[in-house]
Formats: sequence, C-alpha cells, structure tokens
Amino acid sequence: MADDIKRKDAQMRATINQKLVETGERDRLKDLLRTRLIECGWRDQLKQHCKEVVKQKGLEHITVDDLVAEITPKGRALVPDNVKKELLQRIRTFLAQQADN
Amino acid sequence: MVANNCPSNRLSVRPSFCVRLSLSAELTSDLLTRSAHQFGVLVRIRCTHNFEKHFLCLQLMDSLPFSHLNGDLDHETLVSDVMYELIDDVTLGLCFEVHRACKNGTLFLGDTDPKSQREHELVDRAGVDVFGHVPTKKQFECVCPNCQRNLAASRFAPHLEKCMGMGRNSSRIANRRQAAMAKENESSRMSVLGDDSADDDNDLDWSYHVDRKIKKLKKDKSTHSPRRNKFNRFHKNGDSSSDRSATPEPGLSYEHLSQEERKQILVNTCGVISEHTKKMCAKSQKCHQHTDDQRVKVRQYLLGQSMVVDEDTTIDIDSLDDVDSSQSLRDNLWEGGSNASSPADSTSTNNSTGSKKRNGPKSAKLKKKKSRYGSDPRSSPFDFD
Repeated sequence: MADDIKRKDAQMRATINQKLVETGERDRLKDLLRTRLIECGWRDQLKQHCKEVVKQKGLEHITVDDLVAEITPKGRALVPDNVKKELLQRIRTFLAQQADN
Repeated sequence: MVANNCPSNRLSVRPSFCVRLSLSAELTSDLLTRSAHQFGVLVRIRCTHNFEKHFLCLQLMDSLPFSHLNGDLDHETLVSDVMYELIDDVTLGLCFEVHRACKNGTLFLGDTDPKSQREHELVDRAGVDVFGHVPTKKQFECVCPNCQRNLAASRFAPHLEKCMGMGRNSSRIANRRQAAMAKENESSRMSVLGDDSADDDNDLDWSYHVDRKIKKLKKDKSTHSPRRNKFNRFHKNGDSSSDRSATPEPGLSYEHLSQEERKQILVNTCGVISEHTKKMCAKSQKCHQHTDDQRVKVRQYLLGQSMVVDEDTTIDIDSLDDVDSSQSLRDNLWEGGSNASSPADSTSTNNSTGSKKRNGPKSAKLKKKKSRYGSDPRSSPFDFD
C-alpha cells in the first residue's frame, strides 16, 4: 500500500513537472529565483564558501562532485526566508491554476 | 550533533541529523511541525523522554512524502520540493562556474593578498576617517610652470595670472608700467619709435591714460573700438605732437607748432582757429561748428599755400596703399627716428606710410588718422590726390 501511494505520488510529481516545463513557468520561476538570490547576496556568500572549500581541498584536486556535495546543502540553508516565501507562493498559485484548468 | 540550551526555538536544517533541543514545555509537537514547515522542511518528530521531560529529540529528514501525513502536507511537500529543485539547479550552476574558474586559474584572480588586505582595511575609530587620517585641511603645494616657484594651491591661480600676463589686473599693471616707462623715454628724447614696442599694442585695450605719443603710434589698433575712436578723435589728434601735458582743452594753440606738426593736425582735425581763444578746433573734419570754407582759410593761413581741399570727400587711399605699401613700409622702417621730410618722396606714399592695411574699405577719415606715425611728418592735407 505504501508503494501504491508512493507510485501515485511520483506520478503526480511527474505531471506537475511536465506542466511546469510546458507552460514555461519553470523557467520563469528559475529566473525569478536567480534574480532574488543575487539581490540578497546569496550568490556571493556561497561563492565565498566555495573558495574556502577549494582552498581546503586544494586547487589541483578539486572535483565537481566534491563541490556539489559540499555546496548544495549550504546553498539550501542560506536562502533567506522572504525569497523562499515568494517562491512557494508562486508555485502554489501555479498549482492552483492548474487544478482549476 | 547536539545543541543544548538553545534559547530560541530555531531549527538548524541538517538532513538526517538528530538534534536535541531544549524547548519550553508549552511547545507541542504540532506547533513544532508547523514552524518547521515554514522552512519547507518536513519534520518528523519523535518524542523521547530523556532525563528531563522537556527535551525533544527531533529527527529531521529530507522532505519525502509520508503516508501518515494528511493531504495538505502532501501538497506543501510538493510545493517545497519544486522549490528545492529550483534552488538546487541554481546551486549546481554556481558549482560548475566555480569549478571552471578553478581549472582556468581565475578563481582567486580578483582577490587581494592578505598583506594588502590588512593594510587597507577600513578604519572605524572615532575622530579619524576611514583611511585613518585625521581630518585636517591639507595644504597642497604646486610649482609654477613659468617661474618655477613653490606656491600654495589657493594662491596659484592669481599668481599665474600675473606671472603669465593674462587676465584683467595684469594688463592694467603692465599698462601703468608702460606709461611710466614711456613718459621717461619721452622726456629724454624727442622721437618715439613705432616698432620697438609691439606688445604695447596689447596694453592699450583698457587704459585711457596712456601717453598720447604712444597712442599716436598705435593708431591702427586704437581705431577698432568705437569708444576709443571717439576719444581719439577729440583728444588725441589735436594734442598729439606737441601737447604732452595731457591738457583737456578742446583747442590747440598753434603758434609753437612746427610746420610738420601743423600739417598733421590739419589733416586730422577741423583746425579752424577760434576768434576768442586763438586756438585750433580739435574736432573732426566734419565738425558742425565750422564750415569748410573756414577750414580752407585756416589751411591757407597756416601753411601759406593755396590748395584745393575738399575735406568732405572720402578719399580712397586703399588703392594707394596697394601700390605703395611695400615701399611705404620700407620708408617707414628706415626713417624711424627722423622727423625731417624728404621731398623726394612721392606724395602718395606719405599718406599710406605705416598704415598696416588691416581695415580694408574703411572711410578716409579713419585712414587718415591711421596713416599718421611719428616718423611720418610728411603727411599733410595736401597729399591726397
């Protein structure tokens, strides 16, 4: 039964993602997110963190995977609340629109 | 990771970490869940009883759907999932960029070395600016390019004015100096050269009290401005050769004038001798107080020659200039100091001598004035045929 729910859930997600891409909403959301993150200084903060990681690991031996593994959680954590709220709001609105159609 | 005695109820988001928080007793698990969702994180709360009852052990998990949660939460999960995917995308982009910069060697290119960083750090003390300097006015010194002196910056501009000789004040001072010098020169010698003071031309721009002798020499320039024309006509011509005392009399006494001087005056001024004062009229040729007849009579009387003079016609001396300019200039230059007239010279050159042909088609009146130079006493009212 849990698998069933899981399957349904996955299906639902797939549908939502498809809708997002088709309507172009995903790209718009991504652009909006990028702009907001640059404005609030998130990008610079994270880049500074990257540099520290690189210094720590060594410039020669750094790999993309290393970086991704280190940076992704930090990136999620550093996003300010207002940006998150705004994004969530827009996604909810989009889903509501889709539900209506 | 343990965070004991946190004063706030904030959660540090660490996937699959067990966090022990000290919470107030009123806080229920529901409230905790709700506040955790604000951050888009699914919280699974497991209450365990440890030493004290108000310790909760929270197990934070990655946001995954769980069947025991209600539909709202599912929805929220979905939404936050979408959001996190977007955030991850952006983060990935940054990672790629940084990694590329690493391999290209441009990652640390824009940074300053730690030593300079420490040196130029912002200063935040009281009474001192961001550079660490005390806010006093610094006196800047500059070197004058003309005289190579060290000057204070505030005094630089006025000094430069005087030093280079530009600007109003400096020309006034220079004029005064010239006037003084010229007066000296004249008292010592009779003639004044026309060529040796080319820069005196500039000084005449503003001063009206320059010595009349010099003014006579500079008639070319002096006739350009209407103001000076008026002045010249009424004062300079009459008083030019003899009256150096700068008397403001409108008339001239002719008795002590030499023949040449009389001729000069008669060329440029009305010249009619007044009955009352026995002086020559210093007004222009077209003065309305006297008739042409009178002027003719005066010339006959003074110069002792019969002549046909038509004072009012505008004689075109330009043509004469064209023909004789070179010769006249040469004459002028060579006979610089002498007042003696050489009768061998053609009459036509007399009028045009020294005139520098600057004014093209101007009236004869101005031309006549212009053509007079100290070295050219030959010009006379007879010579404009």
